[in-house]
Order: sequence, then C-alpha cells, then structure tokens
Amino acid sequence: MKNHINTIVLLFLVVFTFSLNVDAQSKRESKKTKDAHEWRYELDCMSTGKQGTYLVKVWSYSKKPQLAIEKAKRNAVHGVIFKGFAAGKQGCKSQKPLARNSNLESEQSSYFKTFFGEGGKYMKFVTASNDGAIAAGDRLKVSKKMYKIGIVISVNKDELRKTLEQDGIIKGLASGF
Amino acid sequence: MKNIVITILVLLSGIVNSVSAQAKKPTLMVVPSDVLCNQNGWMKTYENQGSIVKVPDYKRAFQESTYLLLVISKINQLMADRGFPLKNMESAIKTLESNAAENAMRGSKDTGAGVSESPIDQLKAIAKADIILQLTLTLNKTGPKKSITFNLQGLDAYTDKQVASASGTGAPSFSAEIPVLLEEAVLSHMDNFTSTLQTHFDDMFENGREIIVRIQKWDDWDGDLESEFEDEELGIVIEDWLADNTVKGRFNTTDMTADMALFEQVRIPLFNEKGRAIDARRFVRKLSKKLKNVPFEIPNKVVMKGLGRATIILGGK
Repeated sequence: MKNHINTIVLLFLVVFTFSLNVDAQSKRESKKTKDAHEWRYELDCMSTGKQGTYLVKVWSYSKKPQLAIEKAKRNAVHGVIFKGFAAGKQGCKSQKPLARNSNLESEQSSYFKTFFGEGGKYMKFVTASNDGAIAAGDRLKVSKKMYKIGIVISVNKDELRKTLEQDGIIKGLASGF
Repeated sequence: MKNIVITILVLLSGIVNSVSAQAKKPTLMVVPSDVLCNQNGWMKTYENQGSIVKVPDYKRAFQESTYLLLVISKINQLMADRGFPLKNMESAIKTLESNAAENAMRGSKDTGAGVSESPIDQLKAIAKADIILQLTLTLNKTGPKKSITFNLQGLDAYTDKQVASASGTGAPSFSAEIPVLLEEAVLSHMDNFTSTLQTHFDDMFENGREIIVRIQKWDDWDGDLESEFEDEELGIVIEDWLADNTVKGRFNTTDMTADMALFEQVRIPLFNEKGRAIDARRFVRKLSKKLKNVPFEIPNKVVMKGLGRATIILGGK
C-alpha cells in the first residue's frame, strides 16, 4: 500500500514538474513571439538610395540587441509599406507609404501574417548596410530590460511594390487602364 | 425557359464586358516650363501687333541641353517602370515635322491633288498630351555649394487643374557633379509624384472623368440658347441633360449666355451602358443626337480636344 502511495506521489510530482516546464516554455515562446511581432519602431530617412531603393535607419526596440538585426529588417519593410517616413538629413525627402488604404494591414491580415512570418517574403527586399553593424551611438538602453537599436537598412521598394501589385494587395499606377 | 437562358446570357456578357473593360488611358508628356526655357534662353521672340511676344523654343531646348535630356529620360524610365510610359516630346516634335514635310510633298497618283488640311488641323498639329508634366529645374549656387530645386507639376490639359506634383530642394553639395544632383532630385521626388497622380486616378475611377463641355452657335443660325422648346429654354434643356447623364449629377455651369454655354467640372462615367470606355467626344455625342431629334431638330457639329474637352456648335455642321 505504501509502495502504491509512493508511486502515485512520484507520478504526480513528475506530471506536475513537466506541466510547469511546458507552461514556462510556452510563456517564453509567446513572449518571444510577442517581442518579435510587436510593430514598435521608428524610421529615419538616411539618404536618397540607389535607384529603386530607400536607405533608412530603423530604430527597433528589443530586449536582446542581437535579435535587433532581423527585427529591423522586418520593421523596415513594414514601415515602407504602412508608415512611410519623414524627411531626414542630407536632403532626404519624406516618402508616403506604399499602402494607400490605412486599413490594408487588417483587411489583408492573413497575407501579411505569412509575408512577415519566419522566412517570409519580406526577406527578399531588405539588406542591412555594413552587415548590420550597429554604430556606438545607435545602441541605447531605454529601460532596465529594453534596448533601442538603430540599424541602417536598404529596402528594395521597387521590387516590393511590384510584388504587392502582382499579389493584388495594392493597385498599380496603370491598373484600370 | 428560353427567356431565362437569354437573360442569363445577357447578364453574363454584361459581366464579361464590365470585367474586361479598360478606361481610356491618358497620355503623359514631360514639357520644360516657360520659366526654365526663359532662364536658359530657349525662347523665340516675335512681334504681335506692336508688342513683343516670347514663346518657348522646345526644339532648341532639346538640341542644346544635355541636362534636360537626362532629367526627362530618367522621368520617362521611372514612369515606364510603373506601367505608364510617357510620350517623348523631342520625338513628338520630330514626328510632327516629318509628317508636315510628307504631307506637303504628297500628291494623288490620279489627280495630283494634295492632302486636305484645314487651318484648324494645322493649328492642332502640335505636340500634345492629356496630362502635361511641367518641369522646372533651378541650379542654386552659394559659393562652392550647389543644389538643385526640382518642381514637377502634372497639369490636366483640359481642365487646367494641377492633378499631381512633387517639388523640393536637394541637399547642397561641394563635390557632386550637376548630373548626379539632377538624378538624385528625380529619384527622390518621383515616388511622391506618382502617389499624387494615383490619387487623381483613384478619384477619376470613383467619381468619373472630369471634362469641359462648351456649347457654341454658328453666327448664321437664327436660334440661340434662349430659344424655347416645349416651354423650356434650350440652355436649361442642356443643363437638365447634363444633370441626368453625369456621375452623381456633377457639373458646374460656368457661363451661360444666349450664344454660348460653358460647363466645367463635368464628371462623366468612364464606360457607357455597353461597357465601352468613353471620352468627352463620345459623351457629348449623345447630347448632339438629342438636339438633332424632335422637338429640337437643331443640326450641330461636335468638336473634340483630346479625352477631356468637347464642343457642340449649334446651327450646322
């Protein structure tokens, strides 16, 4: 009888420990995902890029500076599609977002979920300048656990626009004619 | 049963028509502005009844300025990338000249007659487009520093409205060559320009094409716009027709006298009831037909100017 009780207690402890572990892991996963998909960033225009590109500095917020490069690429594409950016230094002109409809992101949520997902299409349109090296003044600690990281990114906006037009997400200039 | 099948077929053909129909595409052309031509001395001067008149000499501009060609070529390239190739003004001028030379030399094999060309045809033989992209460039110099002020205006050739624009001054540079500054100016402004142009097209697809309709009369016609038909003045009849046939009844009566009427901001549908694309001429054609029929029985002539301007002249062809 005692043996039975011991076995039951042991089993209970194993199940309890396992469930705690799974719970903690899933919480960690969800935190990581939340961190990765939070569209909290700022765009600064750096200069007139080469033909067909925008050169922007993306200020992303992250708990881990090493995660910032991938996050910055995703944010840069998101910004070019949905936010545009204001005029910057060196005669850099403000640019409007590619999406002319302010509700586009929610209307096409499934498309953009895949587009910005892990290994999504967005990767095709971005390159980090200087291999993503972060300048000394571009790594700011804004709170105890949060960094604000600035990375210069080149976005191939012409190809990005063409892809969105071909996928029927935005209208081309000549559509309807 | 037969009726149902016919109805379904008619409905289907209507759907196919509406899906495949494409609106008439406006032509666009970059034209150097008067101020740009004047600043660079690309002007012709002539005397008109005692006063000196200066007009731009576009041919000379294209022959003398490599910078102008560079900017126009860059704009043309960027617009072609967006699926909207532009008319090239330099080529248009050359084509007009060669056409005029060919017409002057051409003669009928049988009778030796020349090609018929009225004074109006000659007047209309100019390089034209539905939307003119008026370009102004200014080179600013402060000591060794140089910068470019770029101004591109999209002007509707019929309504005279500015439908798109992009302008601004680039960053001053000590070392960059002028062609580099020019290229940078075009690259940094074209996206904003096309964005405003697209806003214009979106408005056109939603509210119809904006055109100008003018009504005139031959001076030997004994009627006028105040003539009454079934207790209604002709001018009012025309206004009512416009109210019934424009998109959401939108138009403005800018001028109305006994001899002429001018309607501006007339919004016409892009497609007719058959799903075919229409322009100002096709739109006023219906009004012309109405005026020819009873009870009006007014012979008239329809004169067009591009996609966006049409005139009906009452009293004969």
